[in-house]
Amino acid sequence: MTAPSPRELAHWVLGIAILFGCERLGSLIGKALALPVPGTVVGMLLLLVGLMVYGSVPRGLAKVSAQLLFLLPLLFLPAATGVFFLRDLSLSDWLGLLAAILFGTLISLTLCTLLLRRLLRKTDIVHNNE
Amino acid sequence: MSSELLHSPLFALPLSCGAFWFGVLLYRRTGTVLLHPIITASLLVFAALYSLDIPYRDYQDASGLLYVLLGPAVVALAVPLKQNLTVIRRAGWPLLVTIAIGALLAPAVAVGIALLLGMGKSVLLALSGKSITTPIALALAEKIHATLSLTAAIVVLTGVFGALAGPPLVRRLGIRDERILGVVLGINAHAVGTARALEISALCGACAALAMGLCGALSALLLPLIIAP
Repeated sequence: MTAPSPRELAHWVLGIAILFGCERLGSLIGKALALPVPGTVVGMLLLLVGLMVYGSVPRGLAKVSAQLLFLLPLLFLPAATGVFFLRDLSLSDWLGLLAAILFGTLISLTLCTLLLRRLLRKTDIVHNNE
Repeated sequence: MSSELLHSPLFALPLSCGAFWFGVLLYRRTGTVLLHPIITASLLVFAALYSLDIPYRDYQDASGLLYVLLGPAVVALAVPLKQNLTVIRRAGWPLLVTIAIGALLAPAVAVGIALLLGMGKSVLLALSGKSITTPIALALAEKIHATLSLTAAIVVLTGVFGALAGPPLVRRLGIRDERILGVVLGINAHAVGTARALEISALCGACAALAMGLCGALSALLLPLIIAP
């Protein structure tokens, strides 16, 4: 591994600054307008709009984001571990929860698939008639 | 002295990182979704806390740095979203409509089943975030006062199950279109499903990443309005 050049380093710092900046700005806007949406999501939408206006993703930002998203499981590891320490759920709660997750996911997977196939077929027919 | 060390970030952070690193190695070696890093890592951390008799609260408090990074991680989701927006231009409104309906349908079906089974309010609240990518789901859980740990566990379970069941189910329905498979995985199995979709093809992965990002953003906008805190 070669050491990053000062230029690359500056790109990374800029990427990190953009992420933290959007998060702060999003939280501030969310609080000021008393939005029901989490501030971080407001920040994400701000960045998305910014990137669409800018036209492309700055290199440093792309690198830092990819790195951060790879580390995502590590970031929510403390929260995930907490599930082993939950004491206020009974066995029947857990069984019901599992049933809701398994069947809910199967049903929703099926419905979404059928819906999208139907919609795509419709547009394909329109395209063929044109 | 040793007990103080065990309850400080100096112990909690290396423990988390080590467990995560081991989980990633094992996942890469075996390649099965059942051994997703978060599952192995959380079991390892649990085993360590349990055997060393460290209260979960102390570990959680010592992991503040990781929580701080969750915020920027949510913001970072905008980057793959922007990179995959071109997929929309090709498949257009059917994708958007399916993602919008799916974002409501996925939690609604699960909450409906849980209601039929007579589950309590805390379970229902945590279930409502089931198909949202974890960082957004956690931010949302705070907003609607759901249990963070339960939400994280439900999201992880949903992701793993959806990524396992999705591809064979879609094939069973007689569908070969990789756009459909990608979108369905992104809506129902978020990040785990997206990782699985990327293994299938780049187009499938792009559709999944797009569906995951839009679905997460939409849910974050809509759910707090539906569930009045």
